[in-house]
Amino acid sequence: MQLVLPGLIVFPMLCAVVSYLIGRHSRRARDWFACCAELTVFGVTLWLLIRSLMGQEALQFHLDGFCGLGMNLRADGFRTLYACVAGLMWAGTGLFSPQYFAHYRNRNRYHFFCLLTLGATLGVFLSDDLYTTFIFFEIMSFTSYTWVAHEETPSAMRAAETYLAVAVIGGMVTLMGLFLMYQALGTLSFDGMLQAAEALDSRRSLYLPGALILFGFGAKGGMFPVHIWLPKAHPVAPAPASALLSGILTKTGIFGILAVSLSVFRHDAVWGLVILLLGCVTMFLGALLGLFSIDLKRTLACSSMSQIGFILVGIACQCLLGEESSLAAQGTVLHMVNHSLFKLVLFMCAGTVYMHLHKLDLNDIRGWGRSKPFLKICFLMAGLGISGIPLWSGFVSKSLLHEGILEYVAEGAAFAPIAKAVEIIFVITGGLTLSYMTKLFVAVFVEKHPTRQQEFDENRHYLSLPGKIAIGLPALLIFFFGLTPSFSMRALSDLALPFLRSHPHAVHYFSGENLLGAVKSVAVAAVVYPFIVRKWMMQPDPETETERYVNRWLKHFDLEDSVYRPLIQGFLAAFGWLFSLLDRLLEGLLLPALMTLGTLIAEGADRLNDRCLIPLCTFVGTFFGRVLDSVTDLSVVGLKKTVMRTRTPAQRPTVGSLFAFRLGQLLDRIVAVLNHTILRFHPIKTRFVPAVAAAEEDMLETTSYFSRTISFSLLMFAIGLLIFLVLILR
Amino acid sequence: MLLFLNVLFPVIMGAILPLFRMKSRTLRSVYVMLVTCITSVLAFYNVFSSPSDTAFVFLHLTEKAVCMLQLDDMGRLFTGLIAFLWPMAVLYSLEYMEHEGGENSFFAWYTMTYGITLGIAMSGDLITLYVFYELLTLATLPLVMHRLINGRAAAGLKYLYYSLLGAALAFAGIMLVFFYGDSTSFTYGGVLTGLADEQKPLLRFGYLLAFLGMGVKAAVFPLHDWLPSVSVAPTPVTALLHAVAVVKAGAIAVIRVTFYAFGPALIAGTWAQALPFCLAAFTVVFGSAMAVKEKHFKRRLAYSTVSNLSYIVMGALLLTPEGLDGALNHLIFHALMKITLFCACGAIMTQTDREYVSELHGLGHAMPVTFVTLTVAAVSLVGIPPFIGFISKWKLAQAGVMAGDFYSIVAPAALVLSAILTAIYLFIPVAYAWFPAKDIPESKPAGSLDPTWKMKLPLIIWCAAILVLSVYSSPLQSFISEIARGAM
Repeated sequence: MQLVLPGLIVFPMLCAVVSYLIGRHSRRARDWFACCAELTVFGVTLWLLIRSLMGQEALQFHLDGFCGLGMNLRADGFRTLYACVAGLMWAGTGLFSPQYFAHYRNRNRYHFFCLLTLGATLGVFLSDDLYTTFIFFEIMSFTSYTWVAHEETPSAMRAAETYLAVAVIGGMVTLMGLFLMYQALGTLSFDGMLQAAEALDSRRSLYLPGALILFGFGAKGGMFPVHIWLPKAHPVAPAPASALLSGILTKTGIFGILAVSLSVFRHDAVWGLVILLLGCVTMFLGALLGLFSIDLKRTLACSSMSQIGFILVGIACQCLLGEESSLAAQGTVLHMVNHSLFKLVLFMCAGTVYMHLHKLDLNDIRGWGRSKPFLKICFLMAGLGISGIPLWSGFVSKSLLHEGILEYVAEGAAFAPIAKAVEIIFVITGGLTLSYMTKLFVAVFVEKHPTRQQEFDENRHYLSLPGKIAIGLPALLIFFFGLTPSFSMRALSDLALPFLRSHPHAVHYFSGENLLGAVKSVAVAAVVYPFIVRKWMMQPDPETETERYVNRWLKHFDLEDSVYRPLIQGFLAAFGWLFSLLDRLLEGLLLPALMTLGTLIAEGADRLNDRCLIPLCTFVGTFFGRVLDSVTDLSVVGLKKTVMRTRTPAQRPTVGSLFAFRLGQLLDRIVAVLNHTILRFHPIKTRFVPAVAAAEEDMLETTSYFSRTISFSLLMFAIGLLIFLVLILR
Repeated sequence: MLLFLNVLFPVIMGAILPLFRMKSRTLRSVYVMLVTCITSVLAFYNVFSSPSDTAFVFLHLTEKAVCMLQLDDMGRLFTGLIAFLWPMAVLYSLEYMEHEGGENSFFAWYTMTYGITLGIAMSGDLITLYVFYELLTLATLPLVMHRLINGRAAAGLKYLYYSLLGAALAFAGIMLVFFYGDSTSFTYGGVLTGLADEQKPLLRFGYLLAFLGMGVKAAVFPLHDWLPSVSVAPTPVTALLHAVAVVKAGAIAVIRVTFYAFGPALIAGTWAQALPFCLAAFTVVFGSAMAVKEKHFKRRLAYSTVSNLSYIVMGALLLTPEGLDGALNHLIFHALMKITLFCACGAIMTQTDREYVSELHGLGHAMPVTFVTLTVAAVSLVGIPPFIGFISKWKLAQAGVMAGDFYSIVAPAALVLSAILTAIYLFIPVAYAWFPAKDIPESKPAGSLDPTWKMKLPLIIWCAAILVLSVYSSPLQSFISEIARGAM
């Protein structure tokens, strides 16, 4: 049974390979296969969720030796909930993508990496120790890179570069944090870390590793100041991928932060304050960026960032509140789930617009949705939800988060004034959320396009049935959750609370206080939208005589372009410069030094040679030469006088030996006699002296060859014998 | 005896190869392949069945100095590694060298180098190690200078100079072990047992000399400069020798000198540990930073080798069993990854004549097999889990953290910084290859540019090995950790 857990991770990865192979032959079959795989995964995760809702025992899986430390998986409340959300997201986008990608290139690659990412993401959400989390987190980061780069346009490549840089740097920084954390606590399992951290006297030594881990997971989640990839990557990625990136991949970062905050830094006020401030900045900045943006998907991306900020505030409150953290914990979980659903719907709506118009600028797409009631209603559901309007699910989660902050303020602890400020920003941000959602809704579904409205209205069959299901069901779910919080959302949050190390607590979802918060936010929006968005952010367009949306954000104010890129490039350049200087210095010093040393030795030897050795040798040589010279002379003279006195030599034959010469002469004479007598008419003309000599020489050569060969082999034989003897005698 | 035969056989068969004056390429290919395969089979036989405790002494210099071959567990590890890689590298070079020419002399030296490398792996004492180590320099020099084109002569000279310097330094260190040690044969924990306190500084200095000497081949800063230079050599040489055999022999020699001759007890906690460690840690970052700066793909990989070798050396210099564990893991894994990377790079160079990173735009779709293997190896080398590069880096960093002192910050910091730089210098070419920027005119070649099976098969096998080890490597892990703990 527990093999279901690794199966959930491995199955989509295997399906990825199979779908790639299928895709080389048939596109339709590949689309169906991928979709079925995703639906199957959704089915299994749903079964897991229902299992844990029924209160059955959590499945566990442990594999030793996987990547060094082993793999721990577990399917209890929160994990099954989020695995199920992931399954839902993938199933939804899987239904939607065949139509969306109809005219795309490289779809095989998309599906391949999409399924790989599904497996890795499930791995993150099912993990039971930080090491397993990290491994799947990294796999997920790199497989999702291809989504951002999918369009291969220069802007997509630039966004992908940023995404990859953030993934790499974030991943490595997290890894460093994990090293130190493991060193400090001796374990990385969630429960083990909690115990080890509580056993420590002071958490001071854990802040550095904690901060490093927060950096990495925060980067994926879109936390300020490492949110830079988020507003860039979403607009350029294909819409289903944007929905996944925003709806679920950011949550993996949150999952990591949750794991650290609630295990290592449980009830740690300093940690809570840091997260609170970062979350507050993220929340407000995201909403602000979203308000300024005039690009449909960019607004949604900034909105994601803002909602992540809300979730971070919730996490911070849990750390700050200590044992009283139930409301904040419920709010955190519910807002995560809600935000996933909102973004699924919103990005797929945006994708529907994009697949027909291939434009995202609000001025170009305005009015497209006017005569499309289905799309309009779905967008409205998600929009109202994300803005926190009562009766939609966002209201419940935001109210819970709000109550969490209020509770902390009421406690009157040390950081209460800060929390009070955060509470104000929280309400304002809620208002901004409503403002930018209104801006989007009005632009796409209410206003008229100055020139193409007719054409837009005629486009009725804009969405296939699977697409409608994919968008409609989650939208319905948002409304359903909002209507029945005490039944549906309560069950989910109670399920998840053990993971957040908190206990269920009764909540009045529609209490006056909560409604007051919502009213405040609506009031903010009622000021912001008509006076800022309609007045300041629009200006008359002389060409079409209508108002145009303009981006009032400072053009050159971009954290990435003005700070991070120059910083990293400068760092790399300085590094490279310094090191190549060293390299050149070495090349200029060490090798020449070696060669100089060699040359010096050689020159020394040379000089020694020149100065001493050669004169000496010359002198000695000359001396001995002279002596030898005279010795030779003397001995020659002596020899001549004694042994080698000159004699008149005997007559020697000209060729051959004496015997052969005489034999030849004899034969010649006989022949001469014969020639004169018998052979008078046919004389023999051969001269026998040279002939015999030649024959003799021939014979001698042959014999000498023989004798030489024999003597050689004899010699060899003798040597062999000798060796043999030596060996024997040893 | 079988060990000696194993070393001698390829050396002799390589030496007599030019005598046959083979005109037919097929005949020579068969001959070279056959010799290599027989040697590998013999090597594997030795790895699995040669007893650890018996040594084959082939030369008695003095009572104390004997030259012997012996296979202990670490020798087995290295022998197994090169016996696995060599036949496929030969298969690869059979096709590659068709583009280069001069195959007779090339394969003669290539085959001889195999025997000498096995000699290093199987040597049972410091003197034998030294002898083979120097022979390796001499045998690989003709390979580096092959055909004397493209500035190979200058690179070869540089290699020679550095190696000679290393030889001189190492010799001095080894002589000290010879005079003060019980013997020169390898013993886990060192052979310098009965040392008086006043002798220790001298021997620590001796260790430094030996480290620097052996460090030349392991390309430790400041003696690394030859390695990027010799990347002008033919790719099979760069891939097998300058990513695996020669440089790993250097790393093995450093480990042998550290753990098996001088012993961790002598140097632990002294300047003789700190100084080499700092050099290695610096090289880790230095090599990666230089690789980021380098635009020529093969030289970039060479700088990456400089960096990765120092991972191994750095791990060993932590002087803990965990450090040695990580180092040996990285030794094996880096060999696999880097040979894949180099061979893929060589395939690109022969098939398309593109040498610079910026020229790789869009090649991924033209050479799918080459680039898939390259991508897998690159991702693994960066240290993305669950690939093998991550396993070894995790172990190294973990060992660093556990080592205490300043090592526990320097080691992981160097690793993490280097990993980020590695990602930069490897992901950029990979991203270029798969996601060509639209503004660059695409010169779509007709059909696949992948090389023939002789070059593809080794790439695929190595890539598969990377994947298999990523998923399942526990027998290897436990074997290595036994070596690292000095278990017999």
